[in-house]
Amino acid sequence: MNPSVKRWAPFAAVPIIAVAAAIAIPMTTNAAQDLPEKTPQQLLEFVADSDVTAFSGEFTQTSDLGLPDLSSLGSGSTTGADGDGFMSALVELATTSNDARIYADAEQGARLQVLDQLDERDVIATADDGLWIYDSGEKTALHVTHEGSSDASTPPADVPTPSSVAEKLLDSVDDTTAVAVGSNGTVAGRDVYELVLTPRDETTLVGDVTISVDGETGMPLGIAVTAEGASSPAFSVAYTSVDYSTPDSSLFAFTPPAGVEVTEKAIPADAHSDDAAPDDSTTPGDAAPEAPDVTTTGAGWGTIVELAAGEASASLEGLDAITTPVDGGRVLSSSLVNVLITDDGRVFAGAVSVDALESAAR
Amino acid sequence: MSNADTLTSPARRRGGGVGDLLLSELALLFRRRRTWALLGALALIPVLLAVAVRLSGSGGGPSFVGDIAGNGLFTGFAAITVAVPLFLPLTVGVVAGDTIAGEASLGTLRYLLITPAGRIRLLLVKFAVAAAFCLAAALTVVVAGLLIGLALFPVGPVTLLSGTEIPAIDAVGRALLIAVHVAISLVGLTAIGVFISTLTDVPVGAMAATVVLSITAQILGSLSQLSALHPYLFSAHWFGFGDLLRDPISWASFGDNVVLQLGYAVVFGSLAMGRFVTRDILS
Repeated sequence: MNPSVKRWAPFAAVPIIAVAAAIAIPMTTNAAQDLPEKTPQQLLEFVADSDVTAFSGEFTQTSDLGLPDLSSLGSGSTTGADGDGFMSALVELATTSNDARIYADAEQGARLQVLDQLDERDVIATADDGLWIYDSGEKTALHVTHEGSSDASTPPADVPTPSSVAEKLLDSVDDTTAVAVGSNGTVAGRDVYELVLTPRDETTLVGDVTISVDGETGMPLGIAVTAEGASSPAFSVAYTSVDYSTPDSSLFAFTPPAGVEVTEKAIPADAHSDDAAPDDSTTPGDAAPEAPDVTTTGAGWGTIVELAAGEASASLEGLDAITTPVDGGRVLSSSLVNVLITDDGRVFAGAVSVDALESAAR
Repeated sequence: MSNADTLTSPARRRGGGVGDLLLSELALLFRRRRTWALLGALALIPVLLAVAVRLSGSGGGPSFVGDIAGNGLFTGFAAITVAVPLFLPLTVGVVAGDTIAGEASLGTLRYLLITPAGRIRLLLVKFAVAAAFCLAAALTVVVAGLLIGLALFPVGPVTLLSGTEIPAIDAVGRALLIAVHVAISLVGLTAIGVFISTLTDVPVGAMAATVVLSITAQILGSLSQLSALHPYLFSAHWFGFGDLLRDPISWASFGDNVVLQLGYAVVFGSLAMGRFVTRDILS
């Protein structure tokens, strides 16, 4: 052997091993684990019986819908502190990835921290102090209180947490959905069951939805939505770490810092329940607050959401560049969700084909 | 870049163990006028920032700059934010690119190798010294920022990104922690610079190549089409120091950063050793 090659060998081996480890280690963490077998029905009950009341964790939300980067079109702030949060929150959810932390305690409240680079958006919901939405970049805070009622706190809904999205989906499981148990895996270092929901509905673009359920506590730790015919998830939320101890109570006390513009908003007690996020939707982003008037047609996975002409179409004007014209309007097409903006300003959206949207618009 | 004064330095001829070599190389680096010029230029960043804010008296601007007028401690945070993408990689590139190629171009490399330290140990010492410069550079920016902020603006409790206020003394602690994070973030680039430096006898070429790589990595990091690659870029956590300004501190990116930089140090460190051990030292 050439002597210089011989002397090189040990030094060349180290980088090769290091690179191989960097590739191999993330793959092995998803190896199958030993958990007691459960039927789909048992697993659904396991999730429903889950009695986790206090936890904290960090999670990552990613979207890969095949859409171009729309961040320049959004208004920057998407917490809705200025009132137009709904559409921009949708646009952000559809195109970008977010890291966030959640602290929850059934007795004290919940706090969501969206960890932007060098910025942070916080949603703090407590029973006695209402809801705070704080944006460190914009230096704004919105304080929502319920007049005359101090009952259950509003869960933070701006960014979907794995648990909230999964529970919403599982609530809507009926005979339009085939439920199966997938292979076990690991999420946030914990052994999980995988619950695979496959729509029986032929019209929907959703291929399947995989929900990772903590094998010990029954709390959903991750959710991945895969489009029909795709191999990797178009939308996913999953914890990267989770801790079942009660979070420190100081996290739920929020005092707006000096120099922050605070907006106070009181909601009458009777409007409280109507203000909840629209249900019957398969798009997790619909959980955003302050939804405009929404009507739905169809049922289950093939549901089509219609936004009335007016406010919604105004905030979609900037989208002209990335939509394609069709008969009677323009279409924003992605692997999971299609949006039809008709010429008279109505907006139809759903996890269905463009043809289905067009027939709904007629 | 005159090194004439260092050529006659007696310290480096003393030889001895790795410890002596490390001390003499450290002394050599921090006695150099060029090193002080680099650190001085870095210290100028917060000074310019603070003076500009003081003179204009207006808020706004990029992250943290708008907060300086209300609280001088933010000068440290603002300065490190400005320095991370270009100025720090530039100075680190100069120091790391010079490690081996600089000695080779001056003709002093062969004398260094006469010491009983051996080639591998010399390389490790050179790398350690360059890494020490990373820490010195990051600390210079942060400490100069804190001092000029203290001198020109009122100082009080600092509002974290989460909206929580912490006492000024805790904020100084977090600022120093940020300097440590940034210094660790630059270790990968240092390893690349030392490796390139073993490839050539022209120090300017190694410096330029290192700096260009640091900019290339950041450009790749901004292309969303390459998102699968992003966690593996050595610049992946350069702005992760923001996580140290949350309540509670998010240690995830700090830990990821340590692992990533260690990986780069191992890969490019061994490539540099392979090259340096097999290469003919002609100068």
